[in-house]
Amino acid sequence: MGAQPFETIVGAHHGEIYRYLRRVTSRTAEAEDLSQETFLRAYRAYRTLGPEANVRAWLFAIATNLSRNHFRSEKRRRVAHQAISVEPREADPEGPEHEARLGEARTLLETTVQGLPMKQRLAFVMRKIHDIDYEAIGRSLDCSAESARAHVFQALRKIRLSLNGHELPPTGGVDRGAPPAGPTERRGAGAPPSESPLSRERPR
Amino acid sequence: MKRKSQVCVEIEPDLVAAATGDAEPGAALRVEQHIDSCGACRGEYDRYREIEGVVGALRVAPAAAESVARARQGLESRLADLKSRLVSYRVFSSPLGRILIARSEHGVSLVEYLDGGVDLSTSRLRRIAGVELQEDGAEIETLYRELMEYLHGDRTRLEWPLDLRLARSDFHRSVLRATAAIPYGAVTSYAGIAAEIGKPAATRAVAQALRWNPLPIVVPCHRIIGTSGALTGYSGNKVGLKQQLLAVEGIQAIGTRSDSRVARNMLYHYDRNDQHEYCLPTCGDIARRPIGPVTLLASRELAGVMGLVPCSACRPDLHPLAA
Repeated sequence: MGAQPFETIVGAHHGEIYRYLRRVTSRTAEAEDLSQETFLRAYRAYRTLGPEANVRAWLFAIATNLSRNHFRSEKRRRVAHQAISVEPREADPEGPEHEARLGEARTLLETTVQGLPMKQRLAFVMRKIHDIDYEAIGRSLDCSAESARAHVFQALRKIRLSLNGHELPPTGGVDRGAPPAGPTERRGAGAPPSESPLSRERPR
Repeated sequence: MKRKSQVCVEIEPDLVAAATGDAEPGAALRVEQHIDSCGACRGEYDRYREIEGVVGALRVAPAAAESVARARQGLESRLADLKSRLVSYRVFSSPLGRILIARSEHGVSLVEYLDGGVDLSTSRLRRIAGVELQEDGAEIETLYRELMEYLHGDRTRLEWPLDLRLARSDFHRSVLRATAAIPYGAVTSYAGIAAEIGKPAATRAVAQALRWNPLPIVVPCHRIIGTSGALTGYSGNKVGLKQQLLAVEGIQAIGTRSDSRVARNMLYHYDRNDQHEYCLPTCGDIARRPIGPVTLLASRELAGVMGLVPCSACRPDLHPLAA
């Protein structure tokens, strides 16, 4: 049995699982239904879960499985692709021009992500949006951590191609001395300052 | 466009990983050395850095709070529904044959003799609409262990939370509650239970309710017998099991299988007198009076636990029955 009451698990993870599913299904109703289904399945299996288990990765695996079945059985892939919606955003603190450029790039990125093959999309969203490690992504997708990494690489390549010719807001990309924006701030605790800014210790 | 060199092609996955903050330390170092001497790859690297920036923006974009809340609300209600329907069970071997134990969120809901059956296929659970069944491990294993201790006489109480929803009516539930209050080592009658729940004419209905007892042993319907002392029935036609269960508690039966009755001459008697005195079976005509108004007790210890005192006439304290 998991270490905490199930209600605690719901409170801690439902929001994130919903956002994950919202991102990979692109439809609110589907995300609602699949997020509920994820936790119902989790509830049924929770008592058999070891107290040391990584509950978050486990929930992502259930959600991923459900998404795959959902797309496979219903062939909703194309429909989902046509139904891209853009989340409401807050004003960009760096000014309207930056915001417009970022907004455009973001929409294009979202469209590209929605159009990715299923495994690439799931791997990309798990890794780049939710910071799930490759081992866990591999388990979710029934593949190795290496294959999971390859899916994310392929996804980034396609995104790179789709953004070809679009001017993107500068993110300190020219100066290689600065660490990549975003993930490092969120995940990067623990990397010693002497280490190359290009690398980050992470279990494979 | 110039073709990429083999080195550039090979290093591309690492380059993308490094630019997006996702590379192994060794790979990052190789990328760093490569882009120092390859302008094209340096350009690629910078481009991926920009993309990482856009991905970062995607990461912080919040989903509409309203839809998250709606999904959560829907989840709460579906979860409540699932909890109310989910029944976990296991089938075990026991000295009384194969037994199925099932429990819900509220407590133990079914203890069932499977007769010849070895699995769920012969169980009542299969015929109950709306339940979702789940074979379970550890939790029910504990119940099983306690039940075995009980059947071997090493435990006198099964203090399990009970879920009486499988009882067929409120009347049945009231019968089960009254039956559950009969202590270990005591015996009363169907008429006694009927009187207890305030329906003295409903003896047959009480017997029917106990015939459908979803929780035999735990709700000790084996402690309920006919007013004459006859064991009558048990869970269909399992009078032999009733006899076994009573024997565990120190209550012996005599007679043939089709006509067995408790041996009243080996039990203490209590006729609900105002002095709360219990008697030897030889005290006046007490052993000929109907069971129900009279309760039979296996031991003086039990009488003590029930707050009874020895009868001042027959003095069971001075003349104990042979154990």
